[in-house]
Amino acid sequence: MDVFGLYLAVARMSFRRQLAYRTANLAGLTTNAFFGYMRAALFIALFGASTQTTISGYDLQAAASYTWVTQALIMLVNLWGWWDIEATIRTGDVVTDLARPFSYLGYWLARDYGRAAYFALFRGLPGLLIGQLTFAGGLRWPANAGAWMALLASLILAVSISFAWRFLLNVSAFWTTDARGIGGITGALVMFLGGFVVPLRFFPDWLQPVLMNLPFAGIIQIPTDIFIGQLSGVEALQAIAVQAVWALALLGLAQITVLFAVRRVSLQGG
Amino acid sequence: MLDLFQLYLKLVGARVRGQMQYRVSFALAGAGQAAATVVEFGAIAVVFSRVPRIGGWTLWEVALLYALAETSFATAELVGSALDDFQRRISEGTFDRVLTRPLGTFFQVVAEDLELRRLGRVLQGVVVLALALGNLHVEWTIAKLIVLLVSIAAGIAIFLSIFVLAAAFCFWTVEGKEATHVFSYGGVTLVDYPLDIYADWLRRFATFVLPLGFVSYYPALFLLDRPDPLGLPDWTRLLSPIAALALGACAYFGWCIGVRHYQSTGS
Repeated sequence: MDVFGLYLAVARMSFRRQLAYRTANLAGLTTNAFFGYMRAALFIALFGASTQTTISGYDLQAAASYTWVTQALIMLVNLWGWWDIEATIRTGDVVTDLARPFSYLGYWLARDYGRAAYFALFRGLPGLLIGQLTFAGGLRWPANAGAWMALLASLILAVSISFAWRFLLNVSAFWTTDARGIGGITGALVMFLGGFVVPLRFFPDWLQPVLMNLPFAGIIQIPTDIFIGQLSGVEALQAIAVQAVWALALLGLAQITVLFAVRRVSLQGG
Repeated sequence: MLDLFQLYLKLVGARVRGQMQYRVSFALAGAGQAAATVVEFGAIAVVFSRVPRIGGWTLWEVALLYALAETSFATAELVGSALDDFQRRISEGTFDRVLTRPLGTFFQVVAEDLELRRLGRVLQGVVVLALALGNLHVEWTIAKLIVLLVSIAAGIAIFLSIFVLAAAFCFWTVEGKEATHVFSYGGVTLVDYPLDIYADWLRRFATFVLPLGFVSYYPALFLLDRPDPLGLPDWTRLLSPIAALALGACAYFGWCIGVRHYQSTGS
C-alpha cells in the first residue's frame, strides 16, 4: 500500500468517527451560532452608535461576517482543549503508536485533517448559513473563484499550524506532568493573539505587523480575512506564504521533538 | 444544617488538600484561568481603543458590567465545580452511588469537588470591579452599597441555578450538554455588555425568562443613576434577589424531577 493511500485511509476513518456524535455536533452548533449572533450584535451596536462607517478598515458587514467566520473556524482548527495524544502518554498507549511502521507525526496529522474536514462540512458550513440567514444583508463571502482557492489553501495551512502547535503542547507531556496547565494559559493567548476575540486590526497600529506575522494569526485571522475579502490579491498570497512558513517550521519542530521523545521512552524502559 | 455545612467543609477540604499536593500544577492552572479572562477584558479595552462608546456606554461603565458578571459567574463556577462535568457521572453510572447514600443527592454532588484553580477567575473579576469603581465617580449611598453586595450574591445564585439546570438536563441526554453552554458561558458573555445593545427579543428573554440582566445590567443602572432605555419602572432594577430566588426554585424542581427521571446506564 502506498504511503499516501495509508494516510488517506487514516483521515477517512477519523472523519467517520466524528459522524457518530450527531447530537453532540448539533448541540455544539447551537452554541457556536448563539455566540455568533451575540458577537455580531456587539458590532452592530458599535457601528450604530458611531458616526464612522468603518472601524479599522472593517465596515459593518465585514465585522459581522468576521464573527460568524471565526465561530465557524473554532472546531475546524480545534481551539478548545485537545489532549488526545497527551492521554496516550499518560496511559502508556503511546508506545504502540510509536512502534507502528509509519510516521507518528504523519499519522496524527492525517487524523486531524479527517477531523477538520468533518467539522468544515458539518459545523462550519451550517454555522455560516445560520449567519447568512440571521444577519440582515447576509455575510460577505469570497468574491470569486480565486478567492475560494486562496481560502482553501489558507484553511489547509491553518489546520497544519494549529495541529503542530497542539501536537507540541501534547508531547510536552513526555517531559512534564503539567502539559494541560501550560495549555490552559497558551490557549487563551492563541485566541487573543490569533484574532479570535477581536480582529487584529483593532489592536494598536504599531503592534499589527508583529501580530500578523506570528503563527497564531495564521490559525484564525488570515483565513478569516481572506474569507471576508479584507485580504485579497497579492496581500492574500503574502499572508498564505507566512502561513506556509509557520506550518513547515512548526511541523519540523514537531518531528524533531518526536525523535527526542522516542529516546526518552526507551530510557524509561518502555 | 450546621452539621451539613461542617460535612461540606470536611469533604471539600479533602479535595482542596489533594489539589495542593501538586503546587506547580495548581499555580499554572490558576494562572491559566486568570489569563483566559484577562484576555477577555483586554478585548474590551482593544475595542474601546477604536471607538469611544458602545451604545452610549463608556469603557469603565462596561467594565463595571463585565466585573459584576465575571465575579458572580466565577464564584458560581467555583462552588459548582462538580456540575460542569456532570454528564460523565451519568454516562459512567457513578451517580448510582450517590443514590445509595443517606444524604441529599444535590448536596453530595456539590460537595464532591471544588476546583481551587477557579479562584483565578474570581480574583480577576474582583480586580476589574475595583478598577471600574475607582474610575467611575459613583455617588455612593448606603442603598447603593447594599445593592452592589446583594446583586453579586444574587448573581452567584443565578449562575449556580443555571449550572444546576444544565446538570439536570443530563438526566435526559448526556450528548446534548454542550447546548446548555448557550445559557452558562453564553449567558455570562451576554451580560458582560449592556443589554440595551441587543435586539428586543433577547433583552426580554434576559429579563423575564432567564433573568441574566439582574446579574449586571439592572444593578449597574441603579449604581450609575442611568435611565432604563427599555422603559421599565425604576424599582424593577432592585429585583435581583427576587429573580435569583425564582430561578433558584426552578433549579430545585428541575433537579428533583431529573433525579426521579434518572435511569442508570444499566451496566
